[in-house]
Amino acid sequence: MQSESLAASVFEGRLHPLTIAFSLLKAARGIIPAMSLLFFGNKVYGFMLLMAVVASTVATALARYFSFTYRVVGNELITQHGILERKQRSIPLERIQEIRVEQGVLHRVFDVVDAKIETGGGGGAEASLSVLSRSEVEKLRRAIFERAAKIRSDTGLTNQTAEKQVVATPEPIVIRRLGLKDLILMGLTTNHLISALALAGALWNFAQEHVPESFRLRAGNLLYRESERLFTQDTALTIALMVLSALAVIGVFSTVVAIIRFYGFTLSLASEDLRRRYGLFTRRASSLPRRRIQVLKIEEKLFRRLFGLVTLRVDTSGSHREHKDDNTGRDVLLPIARRGDVDPLLTIFFPDFDAGRIEGAEWRRVSRLAIRRGAIKGAIVCALAAAFLFGAYQQLFALWPLALLPLVYFISAANYRNLRYTLSDRYFCARHGWAERSTHIVPINKVQAVEIHQSPFDRRLGLATLRVDTAGQAYTGGGPRIKNLPIDEAREIAGALAHRASETRYIEDRRSRIENG
Amino acid sequence: MTEEEIKPFERADEPQHQATDFRRLDSRVVNLWRVSWLIGFGVLLLSLLIPVVSVGVAEPRALAWLASAWLATTAAAVWLCLWYPPRLYRSWGYRIDAKVLETRSGRLFQRARLLPLSRLQHVDIERGPLERMFGLAALVLHTAGTHSANIRIPGLEAAEAMRLRDHLIEIGGDDAV
Repeated sequence: MQSESLAASVFEGRLHPLTIAFSLLKAARGIIPAMSLLFFGNKVYGFMLLMAVVASTVATALARYFSFTYRVVGNELITQHGILERKQRSIPLERIQEIRVEQGVLHRVFDVVDAKIETGGGGGAEASLSVLSRSEVEKLRRAIFERAAKIRSDTGLTNQTAEKQVVATPEPIVIRRLGLKDLILMGLTTNHLISALALAGALWNFAQEHVPESFRLRAGNLLYRESERLFTQDTALTIALMVLSALAVIGVFSTVVAIIRFYGFTLSLASEDLRRRYGLFTRRASSLPRRRIQVLKIEEKLFRRLFGLVTLRVDTSGSHREHKDDNTGRDVLLPIARRGDVDPLLTIFFPDFDAGRIEGAEWRRVSRLAIRRGAIKGAIVCALAAAFLFGAYQQLFALWPLALLPLVYFISAANYRNLRYTLSDRYFCARHGWAERSTHIVPINKVQAVEIHQSPFDRRLGLATLRVDTAGQAYTGGGPRIKNLPIDEAREIAGALAHRASETRYIEDRRSRIENG
Repeated sequence: MTEEEIKPFERADEPQHQATDFRRLDSRVVNLWRVSWLIGFGVLLLSLLIPVVSVGVAEPRALAWLASAWLATTAAAVWLCLWYPPRLYRSWGYRIDAKVLETRSGRLFQRARLLPLSRLQHVDIERGPLERMFGLAALVLHTAGTHSANIRIPGLEAAEAMRLRDHLIEIGGDDAV
């Protein structure tokens, strides 16, 4: 029965006619510089060249639109394009991790989107469908994920209830919506120092180009004189004012960035898919099946930790960073949440989470020797700094880094108190860091390998570093690493983790395995 | 929470995995490493000889110094190539039970790696010309992981490597990404 329904094509589609317009527009952006060059150079040849470029662009755009088809056949998504040389690509449905949707301002006017199909292969989107109408993407998404779920259930990999859920496809349940207040809070607690400096640099460049020199000089002089006068009058006040204004600029800038990027952020759950939708100008949407989460990271950066705020990041096996400073917001699952909300959220991301509460969790600690080691490392740094300064200034005052030693000890002790881990039947959790804290949660069926490292120092103290390897690392930094574990404990955990991982299936929903025996 | 309260992470239904002893690599790997390292260092040192000679010719006073430095480096490299492999060989071990493959290696910096066999993506056998000469093969186990995406067991006897590969594919590998 399955074989014939599998062979039939479930879904077929073409790109939206506006594809032509959008391709032309994209190409035009590249041509405009060439066009401006044209009017400075030889007009006749330049014009002919331009015409040739335009003609070929139009031809490519038309060819792309008319030849591009995609369809869901059997257990594959097949895209096909090209006129002379037909290129076909088949993507097995069960490998599709995520369908990402991007919508620029112009796209929004016409209600069309760019859709990108992500698989576990890494190296970016497997297929890019640009542009599609929004309803079309929704249909495609449903076709792909329902099909994939059906195939899984047909091959006996999922339990019956899961199948029913998928077939019914209930309306998405909103898990979290971020309002303006959240975004402002988020912006104010972001450490956007570097971006702010970049902005200042850009403003400076702009001023140099577009503001008359005389005015610039006068403004500069005025600013310099006034600040000098203030500085000599009241040094403390001036410094405070400068710091405050810098902070204000950074805060406003970060808030604007946060609002532009994440405006209207909504995280919702539609059967098995976690969906995100956000953006002020460019709207972005993505969905990822929650069982694809390889590792989840609860990040508490310095400022946010003070306010009890966290950021949640996840990696799927396909996730990879397109640029180093990716500003599409893909790197976070939930850009901001209250610490107290993490526990209820986790039960949504991991329905079978069994490691207890995260908030205020008293997990296992590592060896107390960690404090000593941290303090010794810090003390060496302090001593070197003191020696260097003393060598340079030859004054007793130059030994001030030694005064930091109590602080170093305090930090080591605080780090030790926060270095914890726990292993439940289905999850491995680890936490580290005091001022900036991060907690990693790895489903044991996503553990790919476990490593134990011992440096000569480790061996002398009978300690080791444990590292859990997972399939994704672009946004969370990969699986956790725990230092300063007693070696016997490290061996025991590594053995238990590896054996439990081997017993579980990687792809299948873990609960069904238990229920089916 | 004090350390005394800590209980081991054990599940009642979890069978205690038998701790089988680590198996060693084939002892011929010592000579394989010696030869291949000597070749590697040899190429490096010979290419270093070019600047040594050309500087020495241009500046004859420096020649003696340069030549003795080169000779000392060469002697140290040769000694290392002969002295270290047996020690590395003794540090290497691997063991396989029904579910997990574990390797350990390294002398100064020791490392143990545990691979759940059901996570095995694919298994390669690598045999370079030197390895073929010694009748050895390396087994490379690939996972979908990012940090240690592959685990290499060098210096297995060729037939043993094949047998191991077939065995590993048989028990693991239906559950990859």
